[in-house]
Amino acid sequence: MSKADELRLKAKRRKILIQTGLIGLSIVVIFGAVVTARTNLQSLGLTSGFGFLARSTGWDYSFSLVPKTIMDPYSQTLFVGFLNTLFVGFIAIFLTTLFGFIIGTARDASNIAIKTAATVYVQIFRNIPLILQLVFLYSVLINMPGPRQAMSIADTVFLSNRGLMLPGLSVTPGVAVALLLVSLAFGVFLIWRKSDLLRGLLTWGIGSILMCVIAAIAVRPEGASLVSVPELKGLRFRGGITIPIELLGMIVAITLYGSAYIAEVVRGGLAQVPKGLTEAGQALGLTKGAIWSRIKMPMALRSIIPPLGNQWIFMMKATTIGVAIGFSDLFYIVSISITQSGQTLELIAILAGAFLLVNGGLAIFTNWLNARMKLKAH
Amino acid sequence: MIKKMTLSGVAAAALSLLPAIAMAESPTVQQIKERGTLLCSGHNGSYFGFVEVNDKNEWKGLDIDLCRALTTAILGDPDANQIVPLSWAQRFPALQSGDVDLIIKATGWTMGRDTELGLQFSLPYFFGGTQFMAHGELGITEAKDLDGGTICVEAGTTIERIAANYLSTIGVEHTMVSYESAAELRAAYVANRCDAFAGWGPNLAVLRATEIDNPDAHVILSDQLSSEPISAAMRQGDEEFVDVVNWMLAAMLIAEEEGITSANVEEMAANPPNPRVARLLGSEPGMGERLGLRDTWAREMIAAVGNFAEVYDRNLGAESPYNLDRGLNNLWSHGGVLYAPILD
Repeated sequence: MSKADELRLKAKRRKILIQTGLIGLSIVVIFGAVVTARTNLQSLGLTSGFGFLARSTGWDYSFSLVPKTIMDPYSQTLFVGFLNTLFVGFIAIFLTTLFGFIIGTARDASNIAIKTAATVYVQIFRNIPLILQLVFLYSVLINMPGPRQAMSIADTVFLSNRGLMLPGLSVTPGVAVALLLVSLAFGVFLIWRKSDLLRGLLTWGIGSILMCVIAAIAVRPEGASLVSVPELKGLRFRGGITIPIELLGMIVAITLYGSAYIAEVVRGGLAQVPKGLTEAGQALGLTKGAIWSRIKMPMALRSIIPPLGNQWIFMMKATTIGVAIGFSDLFYIVSISITQSGQTLELIAILAGAFLLVNGGLAIFTNWLNARMKLKAH
Repeated sequence: MIKKMTLSGVAAAALSLLPAIAMAESPTVQQIKERGTLLCSGHNGSYFGFVEVNDKNEWKGLDIDLCRALTTAILGDPDANQIVPLSWAQRFPALQSGDVDLIIKATGWTMGRDTELGLQFSLPYFFGGTQFMAHGELGITEAKDLDGGTICVEAGTTIERIAANYLSTIGVEHTMVSYESAAELRAAYVANRCDAFAGWGPNLAVLRATEIDNPDAHVILSDQLSSEPISAAMRQGDEEFVDVVNWMLAAMLIAEEEGITSANVEEMAANPPNPRVARLLGSEPGMGERLGLRDTWAREMIAAVGNFAEVYDRNLGAESPYNLDRGLNNLWSHGGVLYAPILD
């Protein structure tokens, strides 16, 4: 055996030794933690395990997309929380992305007024902690007039401190969720088909609205009118869509905050597009809109998407601030379940697992999107 | 014959011991008399309505008045007591270690305290439970009028469960919004985010009186969702002291039943309208000896602090800022659940 082979073998052995040692250490640490937790729980007389998931909760919470009662088991209540988190998360992701692109483009504008306004917006909302913005916004929202003195637009849209009441299509909440998911899938399909940016957005928007109208005509409950308009009856509004004030606060606060971050990501992406490309567009006599949608944005997207994915994951995690204002997102439900059932470790594990699942999925989607948008020629 | 004599002598000696056994004084009462002061539980701050400090740095409240009543019964002077400030967590260790003679401090009678903590409880003198407070402008008086309304509650509490359970039982359709922070909850209710607010009755009354701008604009609904008995807690093993505390409470209730107040007690004692009043006020003997106290202890006590109605009204009821309806805390004859054992 030559000297070189000997050295190579030695290095290989050392590597194997280090790897084995590391794996062994991890096993010991994890095993030790589990055993310690179990002994401590036992000596405190606390029960562990997931048996509590089948017990009914006996307490109520503010918001649910599906019908709920206080007889629901913990498992179902936690699932409702999970749905609420996804609901707020996806709405926030959609809105922050939309406004982020608009404001980011405005930051890149040649018009001084638009540019300054966008800059001021970004600086204000990016630099104040989200929780502070939310609590401030919520205290403003709940001090609006009550339902009997609600502000209204043409007696069809009402805003009071209970929430925003909108006229809505007469569909059940289940159908509404299904429509939302189909619309989302349609959007993904358009990206997969690599449809043109502006045309794609238009197709998606019109398609989604058409789909909703058709669904409302097809599956509306017997005898209900096509559109239901909110009406004040007794202590609250009936009919239409009610967006509870907590949900409204969550969406507005997260959108204002997240848009500022995404605007910066978009501005960064646009700044990386070589000036020559824009000038080439101008030389060809393209309009500003065409330059933006056909040259700048497609080029910028390549550097926007990876950090944008990070922001999406961040938006999803930001829903956990619901607990500050009584919005029943997953973190809130877990937090109340802990005080009511005492199963701290199990519930924290469920919370962590759920976020890992959602954000893992988002990361995979971002990677896919990135691969899809890559310039094949390069 | 001699044997007989001895036997009868022993019997006589035994007989002469009997009354002494019957009158055996409670060791706690003995200690209090030797010390000349009664040590009662206070609070680290003010627990409004029950144990509070006023702007002259004096203790007042329902529980403080009961302590003053007990002091008068044992020592004949309502001021011969010392209020020891204690936090909620400190109260039981302080009782066990003898820092206080008893705890009269909005303390619920629970099985765990009765058994594992080695305490014994007096007759309940107060029943507090979950209730709703609503905005007066809604014009509602009971929970079933809350149909379609929004109810706020503190998250993670027993109140949250009790309120949800009750509304589900009576079939009131509602939205429940629960907050983790009590401050956030109060702000939401005050801002009219919710039509009603579920909480512990006395706390709602205090909140209404102290933290809301216009107390008259809020009503506490008549529904009682739960009822927790509030009693005085004492160390296990001194039954005679429990007797003294129970009869102190009973005397205040009997006085209310018989219409004896701090204003007319001397007159009633001079001309008792019936034998019960005569016995209670010591116009005829029997009230003191059986408890190891003076025959006139109840008369002095009522003269000093008044009957139960006076004490309640002064601290929680109509004459206090809290204006808490007596509800369950009325005499049995007035629709409440308070009653006294039979005075024979």
